[in-house]
Amino acid sequence: MVGHFSKQIIYEAVKLSIILLLAVCVTLPEVASANAPRQQKDFPQGVSAVSPGSDLWRDVRQRDLPLQGAVPLQGVTQVQGVESGVLINAQGDRWARFRTENPVRYAPMALLGVISILVLFYAMRGKVGIDGGLSGRMVKRFTDYERIVHWTLAIVFLWLALTGLILLLGRTLLIPLFGHHVFSLLASASKEGHNLIGPIFLVSLVMMVISFARRNIYEKGDLTWLLKGGGFIGKGHVSGGFFNMGEKSWYWMVILIGFAISISGLILVMPSLGQGRVIMAISHVVHVFGAIVLIAVSLGHMYMGSIGTEGSIEAMKSGYVDINWVEAHHDRWAKQVKENNLILSAEDFARLQGRKFDPADTVTEQS
Amino acid sequence: MTERLEKGLQVLRAEMDKKVMSFFSSCVNCGICAESCLFYTETGDPRYTPIYKTEPMRKLWKNEYSFWGKLKSKLGMSESMTEADLSDWEELVYDGCSMCGRCSMVCPVGVDISMVIFKVKHALAVAGFSPEGLVGATQRAVDIGSPMGITMKAVLATIKHAEANTGLKIPLDVEGADYLALLSSNEIALYPEYLESLAKIFDHAGVSWTLSSDAYEATNSGLQIGNKAIAGQLVQRVVDGAAKLKVKNVISPECGHAYTALRWEGPNFVGKAYPFRVVHILELLDELQAQGKLKTTGMETDRLTFHDPCSIVRRGGVQAQPRNLLRPITQNFVEMTDHGSMNWCCGGGGGVSSNERAEGLKHTAFNRKKSQIEEIKVDAVVTACSNCRMVMEEGLEFNEMDIPLLGLTELIAEHLAEKPH
Amino acid sequence: MIAYLIDGPLWYFSLAVFCIGVLWHLARIIFTRGRTDLSVARGSAGGGAIRNVFSRFIPHREIASQIGLPVVAGYMFHLGLFAVLFFAAPHVIFLEENLLGFGWTPMPHWAFIVASQFAFFGLILLWLRRMLTSVGRLISTTDDHVAAILTFVVMLTGCLALLKGFPELRLLHRFTVELLLIYFPFSCLMHTFTFIPSRAFTGAWFGRRGIDA
Repeated sequence: MVGHFSKQIIYEAVKLSIILLLAVCVTLPEVASANAPRQQKDFPQGVSAVSPGSDLWRDVRQRDLPLQGAVPLQGVTQVQGVESGVLINAQGDRWARFRTENPVRYAPMALLGVISILVLFYAMRGKVGIDGGLSGRMVKRFTDYERIVHWTLAIVFLWLALTGLILLLGRTLLIPLFGHHVFSLLASASKEGHNLIGPIFLVSLVMMVISFARRNIYEKGDLTWLLKGGGFIGKGHVSGGFFNMGEKSWYWMVILIGFAISISGLILVMPSLGQGRVIMAISHVVHVFGAIVLIAVSLGHMYMGSIGTEGSIEAMKSGYVDINWVEAHHDRWAKQVKENNLILSAEDFARLQGRKFDPADTVTEQS
Repeated sequence: MTERLEKGLQVLRAEMDKKVMSFFSSCVNCGICAESCLFYTETGDPRYTPIYKTEPMRKLWKNEYSFWGKLKSKLGMSESMTEADLSDWEELVYDGCSMCGRCSMVCPVGVDISMVIFKVKHALAVAGFSPEGLVGATQRAVDIGSPMGITMKAVLATIKHAEANTGLKIPLDVEGADYLALLSSNEIALYPEYLESLAKIFDHAGVSWTLSSDAYEATNSGLQIGNKAIAGQLVQRVVDGAAKLKVKNVISPECGHAYTALRWEGPNFVGKAYPFRVVHILELLDELQAQGKLKTTGMETDRLTFHDPCSIVRRGGVQAQPRNLLRPITQNFVEMTDHGSMNWCCGGGGGVSSNERAEGLKHTAFNRKKSQIEEIKVDAVVTACSNCRMVMEEGLEFNEMDIPLLGLTELIAEHLAEKPH
Repeated sequence: MIAYLIDGPLWYFSLAVFCIGVLWHLARIIFTRGRTDLSVARGSAGGGAIRNVFSRFIPHREIASQIGLPVVAGYMFHLGLFAVLFFAAPHVIFLEENLLGFGWTPMPHWAFIVASQFAFFGLILLWLRRMLTSVGRLISTTDDHVAAILTFVVMLTGCLALLKGFPELRLLHRFTVELLLIYFPFSCLMHTFTFIPSRAFTGAWFGRRGIDA
């Protein structure tokens, strides 16, 4: 009896399995083809209908928003805050592309361009010398405090320029060089370093204004200096006061662009003051272009103040300059100096520096 | 290693103590001391920065007491000291420092720079790197009894003149007197009116006093040159003279460093506390005034100011007394802007005025005192140190300024009222 | 491997060098012979000592205008650094977890930023003053420069590591801190502790003479 029943059961089970297997074999291709790209020809022709959601997203995205004066669409939200009703920042992508196509592209060009000009200038013109060389007789030009203010600003500026350039150009230049991991360290460090030291730049700038603004006001003769190229292009002597027009131009560039960079920087580093994204984007543009201009021109300043002109760096080291240097570059100030008897002998100068006078110290270079 | 260098280094090692170690550990070379020193402010020469003057001792400390110095020695890399480390500092320490102590007031970490400079002076003196003028003065002080060569004969002559001018007897070698009065050579030579003033005031106040033929000189050339042994020798003369006359008190005269030498450093130089009290003449006069024994009359109407002698006021502590004494007799007293313990030095202390080599520098340094006086537009300057008085008189003359210097004790003597009893 | 060293053995080594070095240096000062002053005191030495420790924080009126820069910059640097060292949140947590076992309320983030800016600005001004004045150039030693630059580097690496997600930057900061701790007892940085006996000795000297210094 058992044997008869089990034969029956087995026969039925096999029949069921074959049916199941067939069913799977028939439906599997259907399932497979359902996951495969749909082929039109597999489908019966349907009715084309636009998803109602895409209209909404197209309006929100505002891809064709005009550049000028257009305001991103704002909805109503439970969260109360600045621009909290803006779902997608229509300008955001535009700004990101602007950043990649402009400052990121032009900054290296500007910097390399300036460096090339300086190299060319040095190759052709050489170090701008002084007629008769250095005499060793010195005049006080800058006090201790003035030099401290200048170098504080310089050090802070160089740090901000370095960290700022890493943030601007890092993705394009440094990731290929150092890879992502190292760059992430550099970028984070630069961002923190840049943001912390930034406000110190503003304070140094204010100190710069207090110390030097009065002597940088435009005087008669400054325009002539400018038109004559400051005597650096071609030969010829140009008259200058305590500061010549070249120095004054650089000074006001530093002050005005520097303040623009500082204010925009403060806006950028304190995003929760109530400003929206548009102000942040504008601040960023002002910040980055101002910085590029300042960095580029500062290379010229650093060149002129060091290897570019004979006797200049001494002004910012000891605060004293050679009388021949004064007569060569600032003849109107030289007149005042001579009238007021402000020239120190080489021995007196050495003593003020805590040295014994050594005649070999006086360098008399012929230009 | 020359003998001179070895002697000098030995002194520096002996002078090293816990104070100096804490000072050199704390100094961060901030340079604030420079702004307090008239030799720096009037010349602009950074070598006169006070802490720079201590460099010989600091170098020794670095080499022999600091970690890096000791490590370098073990590795054979240390920069051993040379004679130049001492001799190059002679000018800075003797010509360019009057031991005025203003630097010690301003150091933010509390270094008593003046004290350390004195230790350096000690080393230089023992090593024989001292100015000729001071060496001569010290020799005369030891041999003759006075740096200016004033013998007892000259003192007796001064006493005679004073007795003639005042009509009072000047006691000499009176045993058992309450006060032994000392004089400074400067007073005997240039301002003998001081002795006359003492006679008048003590007669007025009924003070029992005497001079001593064994101990008439208060000036201590040993202190000025920095030789502690000689300084002690000179102080011992006073101690012996006071003992011989069995006096209870010794009066230090109007001489700055004499007060330092006798009142404050003396017991340490001789190694023993005194059996007598030392009092500056101004302290005594102030006490007498407070006790009602000293009465003055009349007022100076000129616009007057007081120059604070460094060793008496800033380093000696006698600041209120001159003002207490001036107040009753001046109608028009005005303080210098920087006065009291922060007044500026006349530039001649610490042996500078005995150092001919330092003449030019001293005149330049005097520009500070000159501008202080010009600022307040006074008719006369009162002071209580014969050296300051002499230096300022010379300085004012050099600058063609016609402003008289007055001694405070003399001024009081001129205003003595009728005897109170 | 490096991280293990910096967070582990080097940390304990530097801490030991610092503690033993400072204590030994101070003990040497305290236990070196002193000299008894045999003169009769006019005022109190003890009172003068204690008063001077505090009075030297304020410069004398007569010299204040001449030393404005070192005093202002000095306070900016020292107060800023002190505030950051003991009251910045990351440091409070560090001290609690690694050294003391207890902490305290740190200062708010904006205060931390301002304090560190003061510290940076003050130190830059002070170091430039050292380099640019004739007095500073003459009397400054290698020790002074190393101390200033090392302190600056510690502060800078701390600033660079502000964003918490980068362990390498934090390790760099910790490493420079360890270098500073090792350098500390053998340098002018000891003034942090020795200024107290130094001011006290001088205050006692003036106090005996009845002078308010």
